[in-house]
This record gives sequence, C-alpha cells and structure tokens, in this order.
Amino acid sequence: MNNHELKTRREFLRTGLLGGSLCWTLPAFLSRTMESLHAQADGALIQGVTGRDGNILVVLQLAGGNDGLNTVIPMGNDEYRKARPTLGLTDSSILKIEPQTGLHPSLSGLASAYQDGHLAIVQGVGYPNPNRSHFRSTEIWATAVDSDQSSTTGWIGRYFDNACSGCDASVGIAMASQLPQSFAASTPKGVLYQGASGAKKKASKKKGAAAKDADGSMMTMDDDEENGEAGGSIGMLNGPGNLGHLSALDFLERTEMDAKVSQQEIAKASTKAKNSVPYPGSRLGQNFAMVSRLIAGGMPTRIYYLSLGGFDTHTQQAGAHERLLKEMGDAVAAFLADLKAQGNLERVTLMTFSEFGRRVKENASGGTDHGAAAPLFLAGGGVKAGLLGQMPSLAPRDLFDGDVKYNTDFRSVYATVLEKHLGVKSELILKKPFPLIAAYG
Amino acid sequence: MLSTLTASDWDRNKAAILLHRAGFGGTPQEIDFLAAISPAEAADSLLGPTKFIPPDPPAFLEESGTEEALKTERAKMNSLPDPAKADARREIAQYQRSTQGRQMTELRGWWLKQMAEPARATREKLALFLHGHFATSFEKVRSPHLLYQQNSLFREKGYGMWSDLVLGVAQDPAMLIYLDGAKSRAEAPNENFARELFELFTLGEGNYTEKDIQESARAFTGWGIGATNGKKAGLQRGAQPSFKILPKWHDSGAKTIFGKTGNFDGADVIRLTLAQDAAPRWIAQKLWRFYAGWPAPEPLLKELVKEWQSLKGEIRPFLMAMWTNPNFYDPVRAADRVKSPAEWLVGLCRQVGRPLPAPALSAHILNQLGQNLFEPPNVKGWDGGIAWINTASISRRYEYGSWLVEGTQGMQKLSGLNMVKMAGESGLLKMSLPEITPEGVVIPRGIKDIDPVEKQAAAEKMRETLSLPPAPVVGIVTSEERQSPEKLLAALSSRFLSGETIPEDLRARFQQAAGGKTPFTDAAVRKMVLAIVQSPLYQVT
Repeated sequence: MNNHELKTRREFLRTGLLGGSLCWTLPAFLSRTMESLHAQADGALIQGVTGRDGNILVVLQLAGGNDGLNTVIPMGNDEYRKARPTLGLTDSSILKIEPQTGLHPSLSGLASAYQDGHLAIVQGVGYPNPNRSHFRSTEIWATAVDSDQSSTTGWIGRYFDNACSGCDASVGIAMASQLPQSFAASTPKGVLYQGASGAKKKASKKKGAAAKDADGSMMTMDDDEENGEAGGSIGMLNGPGNLGHLSALDFLERTEMDAKVSQQEIAKASTKAKNSVPYPGSRLGQNFAMVSRLIAGGMPTRIYYLSLGGFDTHTQQAGAHERLLKEMGDAVAAFLADLKAQGNLERVTLMTFSEFGRRVKENASGGTDHGAAAPLFLAGGGVKAGLLGQMPSLAPRDLFDGDVKYNTDFRSVYATVLEKHLGVKSELILKKPFPLIAAYG
Repeated sequence: MLSTLTASDWDRNKAAILLHRAGFGGTPQEIDFLAAISPAEAADSLLGPTKFIPPDPPAFLEESGTEEALKTERAKMNSLPDPAKADARREIAQYQRSTQGRQMTELRGWWLKQMAEPARATREKLALFLHGHFATSFEKVRSPHLLYQQNSLFREKGYGMWSDLVLGVAQDPAMLIYLDGAKSRAEAPNENFARELFELFTLGEGNYTEKDIQESARAFTGWGIGATNGKKAGLQRGAQPSFKILPKWHDSGAKTIFGKTGNFDGADVIRLTLAQDAAPRWIAQKLWRFYAGWPAPEPLLKELVKEWQSLKGEIRPFLMAMWTNPNFYDPVRAADRVKSPAEWLVGLCRQVGRPLPAPALSAHILNQLGQNLFEPPNVKGWDGGIAWINTASISRRYEYGSWLVEGTQGMQKLSGLNMVKMAGESGLLKMSLPEITPEGVVIPRGIKDIDPVEKQAAAEKMRETLSLPPAPVVGIVTSEERQSPEKLLAALSSRFLSGETIPEDLRARFQQAAGGKTPFTDAAVRKMVLAIVQSPLYQVT
C-alpha cells in the first residue's frame, strides 16, 4: 500500500463514517444522493475548471457487435449494394463526409462533429485471428492481448497499475451495472456509478411540479416505458472477474471503503457544475451529462466508461440499428458541445468500440451475423479530424469467411491514446510496441 | 470417486454452510437439526423427495379474456384511418407492455416466495442456477407465460438427467425465441442457439469449430414454435406458442458435426455434444463453482467428472456427492463465496423471521442489487461471485439491509421509489385498452389518463403496502442473551453468520453497535443485527 492510499484511509477514518460509527447506515446510497444533487446542480453556477487538469479518456462500449458497415458506409460501392440488398443504405440518405465515405443517416451529430474538426474515424479496426464469440471477443478487447492468449488484467487496469498507483479508486468511473473487464488490475481500482434510468431524468428536466416531486410519484408510468429497445441476447458488458491477489472478503472490505470515499468525492464534484447544453433523455444521454458535470466539477478521474447495449442485430436490424446509432450520436454530440462550452474539450478524448463488426452479407432474417473488423470513433479537442486506416475491401475474394479483414490493430488505437493523450508509455501497458496512428495533431 | 465426509467431521458450522449454499439459509433451529444427523442425511433431507410436487402456479396464468379483447381491439384498429390508427396502435402496445410488466412483478414475487419456502428451497436454488446457466430474458421474450413455463421446466426436471434438461431447454419456447431458433429455417439457418449451446450451455469455448456451429444450426432448423391452435407456423402475436416440429423448415441434408456425418436433427446434435469429453467437465465445474463459490482445481475437477460420469449425468445424486465432499467446506476458501442478491434477500428475511417485502419492492431490490430475475444481463447469465459486489451494489446492500432490519417507518427510506409505477406493477392501478368509438375516435385509457386524485390515492396505498415494520426480535434472542454484548453477539452470529472467525475490529464494531445499556432493548438488538448485516462478512457464505 502506498502513501497516498494510506493518507486517504486515514482521512477517511477521521471523518468517523466508518471506523468509529459502528453502525453506519449510509445517509443515502450513492445514486439517490446523486439524484438530489442533480436537482441542486440545476441552481448552481458553472464553475471553472479546477486544478485537476489532467487529460481524460471516455470509453464508450457498443455491446453486442455494432454493424460497422452500416455505421461508416462506403458510397457508390457495388459490392456493398450486392451484399446488402435490403439493409444497404442509399447514397442519397447517407450523410456524406468524404468523397467516398458517409455516415448512417441517424448520426447527424457525429457528422457535424466531423465538420467541426473534432472527430476521427479509424477504419478497419480489428485483430489477427478474430473470434466471433461475444464474450471471448469482448475479453480480447478488454485484456488487449493476442487472441490466443489470456490475461487476468485489463488494459485500463494495467494503466491504473502503471500510471495511477497512488490514486483513489475513483480514478476510473464506470457508468454501468458492473465494473468492465478492462478495469481488472493487480490493485483493483475503479468505482461504479449506476446512473438513474433515462426516464427519471427526463421527468426531472420538465420544470414544474413533476420535477419537484422528490419521490417521483407524479411521474406517469409511461415515463418509464422507454426501455423497450432492441434487447437481443447480448445486452450489458461483463465483469472484471479478477481478484488480483485478494480474497472475496478482502475485496468486500476494500469495496466498502471505496464506496464511502468515492461517494463523498462524487457528491462534492457534481454539485459544483451544471450542464450548459440540453442532453437527450436516454439513459446514455443522461450518463454523458453526468460525466460532463463530474469533469467540470473537478473529479480527478482519468477514465470514464460508458456502455450502450443491443447491437446484436441478428434479425430485423434496420429500425433497431437506427435507434441505437441515434441514441449514441445525439448523446455524443451533446457531450462534445458541453465540453466545448466548459472549456474542457481539449482535455477529453472519447473512444468508441464494439467487440466485432458484422458479416458483410446480410442474412435472411433482415439482420446480420457476427463479423470481424469495424470502424471506431475518436472524438475530442485534441483529436485530428479525418479518416484513418482504410475502408476494407468488400470484394468476396478479399473477405475471410465472409468478414472484412482488419488493417489497424485495435491496440494501435489504444497505444496512440495512451501515448498521445494520457501521456504514458504504451508498451508498459500493452506488453509490446504497436505502431501509432495519426489521430492527434 | 469423490471422498465423503464422515460423521465425525460434521459439525454445526458445516451444517450452517450447507444450509446456505444448498438453499437460501434458515434459522438456528434448522442448522441444529442438520448438525445432529449425518452429512449424507443432511444433504438428502435438504434435497427432499425425488418425486416432484409442483407448487401452486401464479394467479396471472388464470387471467382470461385478455386475448379476445386484444383481438377485437386490433380488428377495430385496422379499420381506422391513418392518424387514429397509429394512436390506437400505440395505446394497445402500451396496454400490452403494462399488462406484461404487472405479470412479471407477480412472477418474480411468486418465485421468491417459493425460494423462501424451507421445503422447496433446494430445488429453487437449483432452478436459480439453471436460470443463470440457460439465461433467457424477458427483454426479448416478452412473455410472462413462456418464462413461467421455462422456470417450471427447471423446477421439475432439475434433479433429473442433464441430457433431458438440455433437450428440454432446446425445445423450450422461451429459449427458441430468445436465441432465434424459432426463426431458423433451412434456407437461412440462424447460428445463435447452436453457438451458445456449445459455448455457454454444454462445452465451453475452444471445444468446437465454427463449422460445427454452422452444421448444427442446420440440424436445429425445423424446431420452432406454433400457436396452440396449430394453424399457423411461427410466433403469432397474442397466442401462447408451444414447441412444434416444422418439417418444411428442416434442412434434411447430411451434416458433419464433431466428425460424425449423418442426416442429424436437434436431438442428434445434443447427443453428439454431450458425448464430447468437454461436456462433463463443463457442467461439473459450473455446478461446483455455483455451490462452492470457487472453481475446482484440476485434481478435484477430475474427481467430479468421474463422479458425474458414473452417475450418467443425474443431477440430484451429483449435488449430494458435492455437498458431502470435504473440499466443499475447505476452511481456506470459507470466505470466498459471495451471496447472490436473491440469496441475500431471501436469506435475510428468513433469518430475521419476516415475510418477504411485497413483490414490487422485492423485485426492485433485486434489480438494484444486480439480479433482476428473468432479465439476466445477457445470454451468459450473471457472472456471480465478486461481480455481485461493486461500490454501488455494496452501498445498496447496506441500505436495504437497514430497511429489512429496522423497517422503513417514519423515515424517508422509500422516498426514492416511483409509487405510481409500482402501483401499476402491482395491479393497484390498471390501464385498460383504449376505447375505439363507432365514429373512429380513440379514447386512451392508460395510466397517464387515470384521474390524478385516483392516482395519488393508489400511490398512497402502495406506499402503505410497501412500508416495512421493524424486524421482530423477540423470537431471535432470549432475555438471558440481552444481558451482555458478548452473549448477544454469540447469539446473533450463530444466527446470521456461518461460523466464520470474526476479526477483532469487526467484533468491536458489532458489539458497540448495540450501545452500552443492558439489558438490550429490541432497538439495541436490531442495531447489532444491522451492524452484522452491514459488514463484509455477511455478504459471504
């Protein structure tokens, strides 16, 4: 245990919330505290960035395997049209961003970010010997080792171990129901904030009686009815599954401590700031709104992790995929605008990823099956806008088992973000060197 | 063969561990009873009779008239002109969702009630394992009836042969919907079920090829669902579908699976799969891990596999063999099994001697703690173990612990709940189908359209129903045990903990919680109970 941790624990004990209090009922648990703080924050003034001005990475997982080919689309491409007779998007509906490349029509938020110079698109991202199992491929992205290797730690966890060994657990915050596997570390770090449902936030945005009613009893049932999105059998992400050197009981004791410390920190930070742009009412939108407030409020967090599930579109893909991309694009666009207004855009990089793309050829159920390489997005003030990597060839002779071949290893993207944005030597974390991509100026 | 505990190795601590791991825990009297008989008798008595006595089904299964009413409304809707048609469609869909939500709340409460039944606990625990193993979610299936049907399969067949269970699941309508089997046809086989059958249900990753998946997907074509009237293949909206073989959808060509070639169907795939060496290892390890809380190391796993094979994959005797094996009680791993939220909730209620909270609240608590029954996070089920624990969930366990021990009265503890929503889930507020007048006017009858006064009254009623009185402690401690902190802690730890050594600092935390004034009042006893429940130690068993 290092000094900083000891200090934190001492401070913590001194507050008397754990050590002396013996029967400590939490005054209110984390999320409820957050809910009342949201209300208070509405009245607070925007505060400038505090001294905690390190760079921040926000990771957005698109769980289930996002159809990359219908996200970043090759225009005027016969192979695309042949492979996607019903799911293919027409050139007229695609949001053109480069002469031969466009975005899905529901990604208008990202298209404007591209025009504003804040979005880079890395094409053909994958890894050698791709695996088509959701769980295994997610694990490969999380652990960042070769697909025939395994690791008990995740790449973000190794970043914590190497670069933040003195930090509090809140150096990583996941807005999810479980800590992501990529957070698994030798010395566990990372706290969880389970955001309230989108519906709740939607209601509190309405001014007036409904918003003031603390117990929500004024809300109608319909307000909570928005979760009927394309569920599919692949929803949320998987847990860390790695205890490091701890027993379950040790882990519990540690988590108990982290819960108390981070609750205080988060509560403090989120009251300091408010959002300066409206966010969509979706769960993802509200989670981004919260991340933005925590950043503005001066949290020392370096990694935020969010996820959006439902991308396993084996059947009836068109409508479901459109809704998911819209939810993502609108939330990201609001987040970027908010960061810009705060003056924090330069400090933040947002990176999306999905465990795999989907099969080039659509299936007979109006969907697509598990595939391989796909594009990912990098967004933020420091990011150099443009297309990176190559759009993989869709010609049948260039496919492997019906899937596109990768041309950029996802660990090159990680390495670039680690080196250029977080300022650490990527080889320590990724265990070997990877060529960097030109995503930063 | 697996070694077996002798009667002389058997003690009260082991009996307490078994009571919790095999089922959902219980009272000191139940522990004493198990401790007084042999380990084999204890395991056998917990498992109960081989003959299955079904519980009374949830009431919603008997609801009638809904389907006909829906049909009539849809017919009316279809004859409407466009904007009105869309309104009617939306209102009808909302009515369906709200009905399903209410039925799911009832189903969740019903299942928890079975778990809390001492004579049923062991079978229900196994059903909970199987629900996580063959994970299937309401989020996609959208049918409380079909999820109940799958749940009944786990309950009824759980003690039997593994092969029967796998076959039953492969032909289960909820699973056929969840993993797209119902849509898989010879022209377009869907690989979803075949992949998860190998990867998650029977073999584990690395024990099959992509080719095995593709060929098996072809073999499973034709296993679908039909409306009970049998008229139309495929899923009909509204009707309760059942398993059906659809010969026209089946790919009857030759397939090569695990090196064998033939005109295989789904049953053949399951037979070939379970004959793989990886199959017994996979399920034996999963069962061990679920019940013991940690993975069996290689030498033990080999023994477990041998046991499984000699039993030909019969589950009840295999559970018995695990539970009478000395490794199951390994003191080094005693604090390595984290209670799942369902175990935590049901176990705590049984230990403090209180009934479960109302279904809407129980379901809410489990959802908040990460185990929304019938909605596992994905097809892999719940990861379990330490994945149950994170900074948010541990805070919530402590918070809900205080509700269940000290009650919710006179406090703001229920203030975060949406009472109107819960009144809807509990049937206190019911939305109706929209009224479509002969003139083609759509009059919505949703919860939002209910008179606010009525809504407020229902919310108040809900609050009353959900509020919890403090746990009764009179039956928990004697007046003698109220005389000193040491005696009180001894009594409470024999009820709430499984004989783990209590570290000194925790012991102090527990004892001081009751305050210094003896004899301890009910409120002081509750304070100590709560200190135990709000400790890391209580989360493991």
